[in-house]
Amino acid sequence: MLDIILKLLEVSFWSGVAALGFGILFNIPRSAVFTAFALGFCAGLIKFSLMHFHVHVVLGSFLAAFFVGLICIPMAHKIHQPPVVFSIPPVIPMIPGYYAYETVLSVMNFIFMEGDASKRIVLIDAIFTNGFTMVFVLISLTVGVALPMLLLKKNTVKKIEL
Amino acid sequence: MNDSPKLIQTADLLLEISSLLMVSGANTNRANLSIDRFASVLNVKASSLISHKTLIMTLIDEETNLSCTRVQNIPPYIINFSIISAISKASWNAISENWTLEQISNDIERIKKLNRYPRIVVLIAVSLAGAGFCNIFKGDYLNMFVAFMSTFIGLYVFQQTHKLKYNLYIRIFLGSFLASVSASIGILYHIGEHPQTALATSILFLVPGVPLINSFTDLMDNNILNGMVRFTTGLMIVLSMSIGLFLAMYLFQLN
Repeated sequence: MLDIILKLLEVSFWSGVAALGFGILFNIPRSAVFTAFALGFCAGLIKFSLMHFHVHVVLGSFLAAFFVGLICIPMAHKIHQPPVVFSIPPVIPMIPGYYAYETVLSVMNFIFMEGDASKRIVLIDAIFTNGFTMVFVLISLTVGVALPMLLLKKNTVKKIEL
Repeated sequence: MNDSPKLIQTADLLLEISSLLMVSGANTNRANLSIDRFASVLNVKASSLISHKTLIMTLIDEETNLSCTRVQNIPPYIINFSIISAISKASWNAISENWTLEQISNDIERIKKLNRYPRIVVLIAVSLAGAGFCNIFKGDYLNMFVAFMSTFIGLYVFQQTHKLKYNLYIRIFLGSFLASVSASIGILYHIGEHPQTALATSILFLVPGVPLINSFTDLMDNNILNGMVRFTTGLMIVLSMSIGLFLAMYLFQLN
């Protein structure tokens, strides 16, 4: 049990680091750097804990992104920054880059390499599984981040009373 | 007709602000909101067409009913969230303290001169992010070291070619090709337990996260055209990344 928790914490720590790295690449203000790391850590913890309990990656990413979108509202008031600045970097580590890469790789193998009919069917399966997982994870991430604001029917955080 | 030069000045300032926002990676809705906030401070009514490469804006003075239409081209996109944050703060300050045109344009000049992080900090932070990705996809610490080095080389080439003003997609191809060649050397010498993971994650620093997220928020806001443009940009970036990776895998016979 303990080593599972430690492993989860380790993975979450590294998603925090990934969020921080992308934050610095996007030149976020210095006062938002720690927030980006903390949100990346929390989002990673939620996503990987859910996936540990066999929740599908799409739903896991959605809930993690929804958490980021929700916690951003009080955070924006606290550190006086607009929410995009620290809500996008924590979501980037969850971007399905790996699925995108698998999809394109299968497409290229399908076109350039494979002649054997049975292996071509396996490749078609890989293209569809990875491609649609990628699209659905992308949709769930963006909807998840934007949903709290849409539900509150506000287009700026400043007008939300806490 | 005394108001006309001032109206032109106002239009140029508002165009400058929205072009800065678009270049820095804000979505279309945010650019529109900022224009409305500044316009309400300056007592004008603004209607604008925001596309990916060009801005068109008509201003109507609320007192004199004079109008002015200006067009501006948007320079190449460089994501910079500090600028978005600073412009957002400036817009709220302008509303609460009722700023004049000069005050706003002075503040925008100040915002344009904001510093970026030093290059070495960016290189190390993004390489650590690459190592982090490798850990997320179950790599061990040796794999993470390979991912760190490959990301570092890839990003260095990506930045260096930016200085030489290469086309964006050529730069992404070169970055992903060199990063995956360095990670493939890890596979050749069997460094770590899952060297394949290091190869897959070494190119993830190029992932077009901001264009893709902005594309979906634009689509949700019914800015369909801008959303589609951003989505296509994202797809082009993914395509150039994977061509670089594919070429490296082909050269090293890693199928």
